[in-house]
Amino acid sequence: MSRFFHGSDSSSESSSDDEELYSDEEPNENKALDDSSSEEDSDDDDDDDDDDSDSDSDAGKTGANRFLREASDSESDSDGEDEKVVKSAKDKRFDELEATIKLIDNAERIGDWSTVNDNYDKMNRQLPTLQRSNDGKTPKVYIKAVAELETSVNEAFEKQKVTPKKMNPIAQKGLNALRQKIRKTNRDFATDIDAFRKDEDEFMKDDVVEAAPEKKKSTKSSRKMDAVAAAEAGDDGFTMVGAGGKAMVYTAESILKHLRSIIESRGRKNTDRMEQIKTMEKLFEVSISDYQRIRVLLTLIATRFDLTSGSGTQMTQEQWSLAQQEISKLLSILESNKDIVVTEHAEEWEDDEKLPTITPGETFKIPGSVVSFVERLDDELTRVLQHVDPHTAEYVERLQDEGGLYTNITRAMLYAERLTADAKLNASQENVNRVVSRRIEHVYFKPAQVVTILEENTWKAIPAGQDSKITPRAQASDVSKLVQTLAGYLFKHAEGIIRARAMLCQIYYFALHDDYYKARDMMLMSHLQETIGSFDVNTQILYNRTLTQVGLCAFRAGLVYECQHALQDICGSQRQKELLAQGLQIQRYSQITPEQERLERQRQLPFHMHINLELLECVYLTCSMLLEIPTLAQAGSSPDLKKRVISKSYRRMLEYHERQIFTGPPENTRDHVMQASKALAAGEWKKAAEFITSIKIWDLLPKAAEIKVMLEQQIQEEGLRTYLFTYAPFYDTLSIDNLANMFDLPSSKVTALVSKMIHHEELAAALDQVNSAIIFRKGVELSRLQSLALTLSDKASGLIESNERVLEQRTQGTANAFERQGGQRGGRGGRGGRGGARGGRGNLGGGRGGGFTGGALGNAIRAQ
Amino acid sequence: MATTTAAADVAKQHNLLPNLIPHLDRHLVFPLLNFLEEETPEDEDTTEFTQLKYNLLKNTNMSDFVGDLHAQLNNLSQRPAEFTAKRDAVLEKRRVFEEETEKIQNLLSDADVVGNLRSDKVSNMAFLKDNHGVTPAMVDQLYEFGQFQYSCGDYGSASELLYQFRVLSTDNDKVNAATWGKLASDILTTNWESAMEEVTKLKESIDTRLFNNPLAQLEHRTWLLHWSLFPFFNHEPARDVLTELFFSPPYINTIQTSCPWILRYLSAAVITNRNRPSGKGGFAYGNYQKQIKDLVRVVRQEQYEYTDPVTGFVKALYVDFDFEEARKRLAEADEILRSDFFLVATSEAFLDAARHLISESYCKIHQRIDIKDLSTRLGLSHAEGEKWIVNLIRDTRVDAKIDYKAGTVLMNHPPVSVYQQVIERTKGGFFRTQVLSAAVAK
Repeated sequence: MSRFFHGSDSSSESSSDDEELYSDEEPNENKALDDSSSEEDSDDDDDDDDDDSDSDSDAGKTGANRFLREASDSESDSDGEDEKVVKSAKDKRFDELEATIKLIDNAERIGDWSTVNDNYDKMNRQLPTLQRSNDGKTPKVYIKAVAELETSVNEAFEKQKVTPKKMNPIAQKGLNALRQKIRKTNRDFATDIDAFRKDEDEFMKDDVVEAAPEKKKSTKSSRKMDAVAAAEAGDDGFTMVGAGGKAMVYTAESILKHLRSIIESRGRKNTDRMEQIKTMEKLFEVSISDYQRIRVLLTLIATRFDLTSGSGTQMTQEQWSLAQQEISKLLSILESNKDIVVTEHAEEWEDDEKLPTITPGETFKIPGSVVSFVERLDDELTRVLQHVDPHTAEYVERLQDEGGLYTNITRAMLYAERLTADAKLNASQENVNRVVSRRIEHVYFKPAQVVTILEENTWKAIPAGQDSKITPRAQASDVSKLVQTLAGYLFKHAEGIIRARAMLCQIYYFALHDDYYKARDMMLMSHLQETIGSFDVNTQILYNRTLTQVGLCAFRAGLVYECQHALQDICGSQRQKELLAQGLQIQRYSQITPEQERLERQRQLPFHMHINLELLECVYLTCSMLLEIPTLAQAGSSPDLKKRVISKSYRRMLEYHERQIFTGPPENTRDHVMQASKALAAGEWKKAAEFITSIKIWDLLPKAAEIKVMLEQQIQEEGLRTYLFTYAPFYDTLSIDNLANMFDLPSSKVTALVSKMIHHEELAAALDQVNSAIIFRKGVELSRLQSLALTLSDKASGLIESNERVLEQRTQGTANAFERQGGQRGGRGGRGGRGGARGGRGNLGGGRGGGFTGGALGNAIRAQ
Repeated sequence: MATTTAAADVAKQHNLLPNLIPHLDRHLVFPLLNFLEEETPEDEDTTEFTQLKYNLLKNTNMSDFVGDLHAQLNNLSQRPAEFTAKRDAVLEKRRVFEEETEKIQNLLSDADVVGNLRSDKVSNMAFLKDNHGVTPAMVDQLYEFGQFQYSCGDYGSASELLYQFRVLSTDNDKVNAATWGKLASDILTTNWESAMEEVTKLKESIDTRLFNNPLAQLEHRTWLLHWSLFPFFNHEPARDVLTELFFSPPYINTIQTSCPWILRYLSAAVITNRNRPSGKGGFAYGNYQKQIKDLVRVVRQEQYEYTDPVTGFVKALYVDFDFEEARKRLAEADEILRSDFFLVATSEAFLDAARHLISESYCKIHQRIDIKDLSTRLGLSHAEGEKWIVNLIRDTRVDAKIDYKAGTVLMNHPPVSVYQQVIERTKGGFFRTQVLSAAVAK
């Protein structure tokens, strides 16, 4: 881009004398160099840096366009000056070239090869633009300069060999580099250079003679073209030049030829894709047969996607929606003309001159892949959505494009289905699987109402004759049926990742729609938890999302334990964002290479697919509270039970909260839950319930009121349990009615709860039926020594068990070897036992329960 | 009257027949239908059942019986001619079969020949082929004939034929089918011993043969579960084996995934297992506790998918500890059991065992119990209740006393001493460690 502006600066300095000459000169070359033109045009300069080609499209759009607009603006100002302005536009580049050549000459004379090298590079960089503005011809001046340069370089090189005198090392380096580059580049211009060498004067003279007539011709033809394609921004030398470097005459016959030249230039640097796209748009207008249209569209869509081949760039909305429309055009052509099909493995039509004859009733294959296009279209939209700020109107706007995309996906599915159904084509099943998978992935995370609308619009957009075997039109309104059939189809026909994803999508959908048991059963039956580690990262993310959604679903169903269990892995890890691909998490001590970070960025989900993290945290903490507080109360002072941690992260937060000296009124969700926990631990269930229900984020849940009622009830029950655990030592008897009043529960419920606790031996008490009271047993409180002894015996038996298990694993179940040999070596078991005893003693001496983690035992064993 | 209709409603509501039928052979369904017909009061219409039976057996070869049913349905005095024709065809076919299999059958009943047979099927076949000219086609004939006999309702001979076929055939699929056929025949001839053998065989073949096909495995296991209900409740010795089978992980999974209604039978079996004299004393009782625990776990997991009064009883008693609810469920469960083909024989035992369970956990939780209250809970009169409690105290050696004046029972729950607990926990430790170290030293 900078080149352009640099160029235009220098143009103002250029003398007007030269203008005449060079403007005359350029069209003239058309003829002289015609044979070698296509070669030259498509050539890229190797020295051209990569950025150049990457930003090519941008440069073409912003830089060049701006420039062109200026030119045409000034043109419209006054007709008289028309010619002159245009000339200078071209000439300033020629001037620049001239200036560079002059510099090269000068530097050559003083033997400053490094400067020559630099300038040579500069010249080569100027070249492509010149060629473009010069109908794809290489300027003669350039040829001349290059030819001369080559000679002098070779001379200098030879001389260098003979003379013992050392050259300046920088110059030496420059010379060597230059020699190599020249060799490489000049190969492209070999013909021109030969012509030039053969007869220098003749070669240069050509210009002057043929200049005048050619000039008029070219302007005339450009006018003509303007009439044809009025939409073009520039004129004169700019518009009429197609990628092929020929004056463009778009006729139905030449379409295939044009296409071939475009296809050939694909993937090379320096091809102006915008230009090609414009060409093809015109080609599409003039194409007559379906075959031509399909061919043009196939290339056109591919080129549009090529516009953003680099990473970090996204398709503009305009380009995207054009691509989308073109794909749907392509699909409608394919739908209406059933004689032509586009498949991956088809023979290419080699003959550009004539059209293939398509006999009705027989299918004619064109190479290409509709499914891939649709997939690419989908990917592009996702990429765009990843980069747009979700809180802007733009995001919403782009999100609306999804409707069109979904229609295309569905249509592509119908198409792929049709191909597979046709036995003659033996189209691969995989295509259908891929597109079905895409479709389900657009549906699974949306509420049923939204999908219904989406489906309706889609079927409206699809011509009435079309119908699908997999998902019949009549079923469109039943979304769960849709998800079911799509997933079912993939279960049956696909395998590996696509199948796993289909399962996860279906589970996600069930969970989202409060079908907890179905979701859970499917999750368990899928056995994915065992194999998920071997899948790709995106599927793992989907797995995490599904698991989270199942957890949330359990919460909505009031199943606290299940919910906590499901969310444990995701929420307990402090890495929710990363695990759910909902934003990058900056980790303090992480060593993420930029490469990894880039990959991670690519994986991010668009905002509209996110699961609300704050809600997730709130749900997780609330569930943890309901489970942890009674456990904590039960553990009381006995050391062994303290180890039973349900949620580590919750414990950490609770400890942190307890360390605070002053606690203000709760501000965020976490504060609310923490203060509620504190109140619950103290047996004040009302206060706890108040804290919890005043959390605002519940409103995001559907049926928030019911959930609050559910929570309140849970808090009542857990509060009762906590109360009993905490205050049992202080009571002798406790009336059930009293408890019922205290916790606002029916006394039958209280009885049931207490019965349960007694039965599970959590509470040392019995019920007195006659007086309806709880009678606490006395003397069951263990002394410290006693409880430690119990713990020790537990640990010891646990140790034996784990040892046995290990042994069984090692010997692979040949445990009958056990009895055969006597206790010759009392080795391990004996010493382990002693170690345990030692650990126990140490503990008693220290009087610290905390140290008794089994670590002492473990170490004793490990030490052997 | 009102209560009886209500009870009938409950029974009807929880009728499992529609669930069971798809997993049973048509011949096996017949006894179920028969039972239903018998259960129906005299004054009610039984044509429905006749119709059902007719549809059921239409495709079998029991043309006489089907013809009778048809006549009964259409109020004809005698069987229509088509059935007579069919009967003749069947008899003719049977004759053909008999002729064809005569030779091989004779061979197999010949003691000399049988004495020469080894355990290797291939060499047996070769031996028979060389010495007696038996061809594989003849062996297959045995299979066909067995199937035919089964279809005719002659289960005894079908069982025999299929057994003979199995001895000789090397075709694994057919052998498997023959095993199923033999199981059905044995069930229908109430030959429980051999039926149990077949069940074990099938279980093994499901595990080994269908190793790669989880779906078929599931399906076959479902069938096996249903079929083995017959020996389960009709053959005392089978009870323990089958309970174990049902609780084994693959089968409990099958129950949970494809046929949760089996839980009713499993619960009933587990609960009634209590007062069966299994003779091993404490061990059996511990086992019983474990089974109850497993049962509670499964019932609890499956309650969203399947509940009926029997599982409801288990849930009320062990999950919710709601004795009132448990009492209600027990009354309903009794009705259910009485109207269930498999469970009708065990309903008394079930009621008894269930009462035991209620009072057991009731006593465990309570310190002072009103006898009157407990009696109503157990559905007994006051005097009966007192007797019940006395028996209970004597049987289970609960530390309890009756306060006659106040009409209460005083339970004494002595806390388990800590020393006792520690000793209990570390009891086996030394021995186990020794064994372990010996194994390691090896």
